[in-house]
Amino acid sequence: MWTRTVNGRALHFYLAGINNQNFLMRDKETGTWWQQITGKAVYGPLKGAALNLAPYDELTFGEWQSEVSNGRVLAPVPKHVKEYDSNWEPEVAKLPVVISFPGTELKSRDVVVGLQIGEVSRAYPWDSLVKQSPVIDHVNGRPVLIAVAPDGKSFRAFVSQIDGQDAEFFLKGEEDTSPATASSDPKVTPTSASTGLKKPDQPDTKPAPSAKPWTLLDATTASEWNFQGCAISGASQGKCLARVPALKDYWFDWRNYHPDTTIYKR
Amino acid sequence: MAVRQRASIISLVCAIACLLFVMLLWQTSDKWHKGGLSAVMVLVTAAAVMSRLNYFEWMFHPVDAPKFEAESSSKLDAKEMILAVRYGDDARAYPISQMAYHHILNDIVGGVPIAVTY
Repeated sequence: MWTRTVNGRALHFYLAGINNQNFLMRDKETGTWWQQITGKAVYGPLKGAALNLAPYDELTFGEWQSEVSNGRVLAPVPKHVKEYDSNWEPEVAKLPVVISFPGTELKSRDVVVGLQIGEVSRAYPWDSLVKQSPVIDHVNGRPVLIAVAPDGKSFRAFVSQIDGQDAEFFLKGEEDTSPATASSDPKVTPTSASTGLKKPDQPDTKPAPSAKPWTLLDATTASEWNFQGCAISGASQGKCLARVPALKDYWFDWRNYHPDTTIYKR
Repeated sequence: MAVRQRASIISLVCAIACLLFVMLLWQTSDKWHKGGLSAVMVLVTAAAVMSRLNYFEWMFHPVDAPKFEAESSSKLDAKEMILAVRYGDDARAYPISQMAYHHILNDIVGGVPIAVTY
């Protein structure tokens, strides 16, 4: 996801090729070739230019609806509806991979969440995140917090700092268990995919008292934080954690473009 | 990449050169050779035409004019995955089931031109 203004001009991109199941795009204005995963111009008049990341989230529709008001959804293009594959995930997972990295402890089609801070990259196996959420870790010296929502699919990554101070977070209701940083017990699963979704049309600042909302507590200010990374009560109320760009990807693809990546293990 | 970038020009030049060559040989050829020359010409022409077409977009059709619907009227299932973007008050969701087909969408959210990619 990229902003597409380069040198003050808005470019229009189109799909121009596929390379190792990652695609190349070209812009209509200059014909430059761009690599989708890196946002870099690899050939053509703008070679060397780089697009800026557009912040985005991968969420379930239910989670997103609970967070926004008057949001708009891309409407299906009628003539292509039959081509949309609601079962895309398992189908893509079955495609053969053309590159693999034997000797690494993950399989090519394992799903990871990749973080890159500066020149340092780290991959978090999706299964570990779901089991251990919230995960607190360090990347390039920065404390990071990765959270998976109760739906078991939505996720976000944050800088795990409040006012510049490193902070620890716990899932509310499990304060008695060990902190997220030391959690090794797979039973400390916050939720499972079977738990109910949040009700739509519910402003994020007012958690419904009836439902059991997903809430984190921080150890420093004992404030409550929602899945958007904002404090909804306590001394930190009104503050929001800084976000860290995160990419959910197949291991082979992440590893291909981040050859020095480490893998989170716990 | 250099060849790819200029594919349409190069293939056109090659096709014309090939045509001239075929015309040159045509006079002196018997019917078998003429058949062979015709076949070569057809192939070269086809290659020149293909280099001008974006066959990736035959498989994954672009969205030329994206349309949006209110979240309340969307028929998406609550469990469907979306890519969510927000600039200011403008919050938009791009269902992954759709983006996995289109791959690229040029949009403007809250005044910011973005390329939604998947």
